[in-house]
Amino acid sequence: MVGLSLGEQHFIQGGIAQDLRCDGRKRLTYRPINVETGVIPQANGSARVRIGATEVIASVKAELGKPGVVQPDKGKVFIYIDCSSTAEPAFEGRGSEELSAELSAALHRCLLGAKSGAGAGIDRTSLVVVEGKICWDLYIDGLVVSSDGNLLDALGAAIKAALSNTGIPSVKVAPGASSDEQPEVDVSDEEFLQFDTSGIPAIVTLTKVGRHYIVDATPEEESQMSSAVSISINRKGHVCGITKRGGAGLDPSVILDMVSVAKHVSEQLTNKLDSEIASAEAEDES
Amino acid sequence: MEYVSPEGLRLDGRRPMEMRQIRAEIGAVSKADGSAVFEMGNTKVIAAVYGPREVQNRSQQLSDKALVRCEYNMANFSTGDRMRKPKGDRRSTEISLVIRQTLEECILTHLMPRSQIDIYVQVLQADGGTRSACINAATLALADAGIPMRDLVTSCSAGYLNSTPLLDLNYVEDSAGGPDVTVGILPKLDKVTLLQMDSKLPIDILENVIQLATEGCKAIANYIREILLENTKELEYRRGS
Repeated sequence: MVGLSLGEQHFIQGGIAQDLRCDGRKRLTYRPINVETGVIPQANGSARVRIGATEVIASVKAELGKPGVVQPDKGKVFIYIDCSSTAEPAFEGRGSEELSAELSAALHRCLLGAKSGAGAGIDRTSLVVVEGKICWDLYIDGLVVSSDGNLLDALGAAIKAALSNTGIPSVKVAPGASSDEQPEVDVSDEEFLQFDTSGIPAIVTLTKVGRHYIVDATPEEESQMSSAVSISINRKGHVCGITKRGGAGLDPSVILDMVSVAKHVSEQLTNKLDSEIASAEAEDES
Repeated sequence: MEYVSPEGLRLDGRRPMEMRQIRAEIGAVSKADGSAVFEMGNTKVIAAVYGPREVQNRSQQLSDKALVRCEYNMANFSTGDRMRKPKGDRRSTEISLVIRQTLEECILTHLMPRSQIDIYVQVLQADGGTRSACINAATLALADAGIPMRDLVTSCSAGYLNSTPLLDLNYVEDSAGGPDVTVGILPKLDKVTLLQMDSKLPIDILENVIQLATEGCKAIANYIREILLENTKELEYRRGS
């Protein structure tokens, strides 16, 4: 937990009010983002994202499974987030469970759309091999290695990078199996299908401190927040999910204002992320 | 199965007495008081040290020495097949204990009474020898945190397959069913602080295997010293003196 004196609290709040934060940033400026892909060789795709001193790793593992009865034409995607105790001694034992669950749920909401699978950033129909029989199950694991604020945005970026790094083996289905039998499949270990990540939204968290809101808050600034709204917006400018954290109430008009600001910020963030991911991929291949 | 080919090469192309490539880096977690990444081949672990600081749980406070605590965790994606285990299963608890006991002995705990030192190790990739890698990473992190120690502790494993003693087993060799001897030493004092073995082994061969693992520990100790020296030089340079 951050312990701040009254003077320090005033300093942070005053700085935000004057659009000059403690590290010299403006209210809507991110810290430098660094992306590395292919960091976990055993996974189908993986990435490490650093924003300031925040460091998260995301890995994607694909396993063959059976689609659910309700949605036979869609694969399944699971997101699990774990906060390592290396990041914060308070995460020891079961200490991180609450935060992990909160982050997992928020990412679920932002990336996977509604229960019906509509509006999801990840195209789940592309995961189906044989409708109603075989599909790919994607297990997305996030790990917070070092925490310095703004975990949700970092995890969102890491998952996006990991998915664009993911190669799903192409599958050949043996012909001639009758319709009620489980068909036999041949998983290729040479051919991989790339995942389309253009629809995956970027997550922008706006933290409200005093009368203003800021992006990419540090833990010191987060300790002064009254509430925070995380908005995921895709490349087309569509809002894909909203999560509000923190107790204080917000005026509905303020929320709408925040959404339009988030849309503006997300354009820059998406472009920045895409170029970082592209350069990371290029480096990974060389 | 053949683990050592007639030409004397192991499955991953190493010689029996050859260690995997090791790599270490100091300062992976900037918020911690000390931290390090340690890699042995494909095994990769992060260690972070917090402390010495005030004891969080008053009832655990020791009036004559520092309280040392350790937590070992494996990431869900660290193994080949994805695992989903709750935090703190039996295996992690045992390894936490082993790491704590090994390191507690070399920390000068009597110099810091009524305080607490937390060591957290996180496995990112597991390919055999996680115990050893964790201890090596934790030593580096403790040194980075500036915690007074008698000596560095380094650890390495060795095994015995196809009538050949093998240094630094990887996952495939570890699961072959042969003995796995993990040794931890204080390299300067030349003392063994950790010794574990599963499976059975004739006494005269055990001596050779332990000897081999000890040599491995010494090689790691030399490497860790180099890394520490390099890091200290860099700090000195940054300070500008």
